[in-house]
Amino acid sequence: MAAIYRVDMSSLSVRKEEASEAYRDLGGRGLTSSIVADEVPGTCHPLSAENKLVIAPGILSGTGAPCSGRISVGAKSPLTGTIKESNAGGQGAIALATLGIKALVLEGAPVDGKFHRLMIDADGVRIEPADDLIGKGNYDTVAAQFEKFGDKIVCISIGQAGEMRCSAASIAVTDPDGRPTRHCGRGGLGAVMGSKGIKLIVMDPTGGQRPKPADAEAFKAGAKKFQAALSSHPLTGGGLAKLGTNALANVINEAGAYPTRNFSDGQFEGTEAISGERQHDVIIERGGKIGHACHRGCTIKCSRIYVDENGQYVTKGPEYETIWAHGADCGIDDLDAIAQMDRLDDDFGIDTIEAGATIGVAMEAGIIPFGDAQQAIGLLKEVGKGTALGRLIASGADVLGKAYGMSRIPTVKGQAMPAYDPRAAQGIGVTYATSTMGADHTAGYAIGANILGVGGSVDPLKPEGQVELSRGLQIATASIDASGLCLFVAFAVLDDPTAGEGVCEMLGGFYGREFSGDDFSALGKRVLTKERQFNAAAGFTAADDRLPDFFKSEKLAPHDVTFAVSDEDLDQLHDFVD
Amino acid sequence: MARVEVLLFAALREYIDGARSVEIEIQPDQTIEQVLLDLGVPLKQTRIIFRNNRAAAFSDRLQDGDRLGVFPAIGGG
Repeated sequence: MAAIYRVDMSSLSVRKEEASEAYRDLGGRGLTSSIVADEVPGTCHPLSAENKLVIAPGILSGTGAPCSGRISVGAKSPLTGTIKESNAGGQGAIALATLGIKALVLEGAPVDGKFHRLMIDADGVRIEPADDLIGKGNYDTVAAQFEKFGDKIVCISIGQAGEMRCSAASIAVTDPDGRPTRHCGRGGLGAVMGSKGIKLIVMDPTGGQRPKPADAEAFKAGAKKFQAALSSHPLTGGGLAKLGTNALANVINEAGAYPTRNFSDGQFEGTEAISGERQHDVIIERGGKIGHACHRGCTIKCSRIYVDENGQYVTKGPEYETIWAHGADCGIDDLDAIAQMDRLDDDFGIDTIEAGATIGVAMEAGIIPFGDAQQAIGLLKEVGKGTALGRLIASGADVLGKAYGMSRIPTVKGQAMPAYDPRAAQGIGVTYATSTMGADHTAGYAIGANILGVGGSVDPLKPEGQVELSRGLQIATASIDASGLCLFVAFAVLDDPTAGEGVCEMLGGFYGREFSGDDFSALGKRVLTKERQFNAAAGFTAADDRLPDFFKSEKLAPHDVTFAVSDEDLDQLHDFVD
Repeated sequence: MARVEVLLFAALREYIDGARSVEIEIQPDQTIEQVLLDLGVPLKQTRIIFRNNRAAAFSDRLQDGDRLGVFPAIGGG
């Protein structure tokens, strides 16, 4: 039976307990959001001892289900003040599941303000000092662990931003190559980990046992069907491996929804230079790698290894959102400079979306000019130095924008918008406005039906149909995030009914009972209901489910549109929540 | 005759020798489908079509000065 470990950082003690009936069939976001909603006071300060950081593998993580290695981290967010779940790939979910851990609940706060390492192996969880790692970035931090404990380990760590408890701090998870490249980026959960005095978690899965489905035959049949659907789809069966997530740059730009220079234009003249096509060619020419898997068992392989002109490793990817945030949103068309910034973000431990969007606001504020890549790199390096300006950058667009008296700050509930302008893709605007976690594209990826021709077709420039679209996607996404499956499986699920059947059959095989499409939907509604209840307790109301005013008053080129979904319609999104 | 700019992306670029775009002369009111067939682009490989940055269909007709953007299945995010 998988266990929940409670690590009390106030008393520096560890307690192992069996999951209660209510949590037994949950995992991933389903479990993190349930524990946070049940145990964390909505009104607490996110960096106080009352907050809890919950880390959980998905329901299917470690079972061998294709693309099921997502790890969820949840808490009350210091960036948004809402409940937050941020998930990532990497080896963390598989390691936890193999060690029989359903969730790690990090509670309290150290009275001496010191940093610690959690050491987890087949013998349990131990709290050890980590004074020698203070001030180190994620790369040096994890390299020292691999040197000390060997190459079987998996690390979850924070960099300088998390140590400083800055509200855009991320939590890094090592990939199959032992690099800290997969981040639970959104919502500043690295700051919560820092407030618990935990610099890193080292897991050695040696001697552990992978979770076993209750009905192995049914599970295996479901996994086979699911993998066949993934393999036969043009995106999950090869497209994402070849061009990576940044294949989106050209299509979103062509749709006029590519936010440029802090959301002041819908098309960027430098898109081709930072496009997925160009990135692919650069990587191939220099001997980097495409089709890289971020965790073992990933068959989509959208990751890549970016190298410099001498063929030396720089960073992973970078991903579409990262390239946009440090690229078009800052008016920068230099792929090498963007890769450097991605590396710095990962090392300091800050969310790449928030970091780029914050630099965009800094440019609008006149701190540095739009388009100046070298000054942007310099600004980011302030984070590593811990200067006042660096702390502002690592605290996100909202904080920096307020400090500089700006009014055009593209955030919802304090979190920066990702790489789609909500005026030219109004479905994603609904998701930004109403998500339980602030502006977040993954919460309900309406870009599929708005622009990509996946999962139906809804005119991106009109308000009609967007709330229904976003609602369905937000429910399905909450289920996927609980399952531990990568969200990219949705491209196949939305196009091919056998993919969704495979998912339900895997879950049914895992539980040892029938699991229908309705059960899948009910899981998502259950998760969202918990999250809405937490946010209500934290003081959030319908007035918070809105985009900033300038999206309703400033027209966006080339379509000359404003965001037109009415407040009344936005308020209908969560009509399934009591 | 009408002059249009055709932009092909991702794997479709192989049909215009790896270039990003071509400017071609067509008969006024020619359909997008016909333009793509003339360029040797298999329709089955196309998934997302824009005419002047708006979603378009194979049957839409092009005019002088139009910009046509065509993609295969694209995903990411």
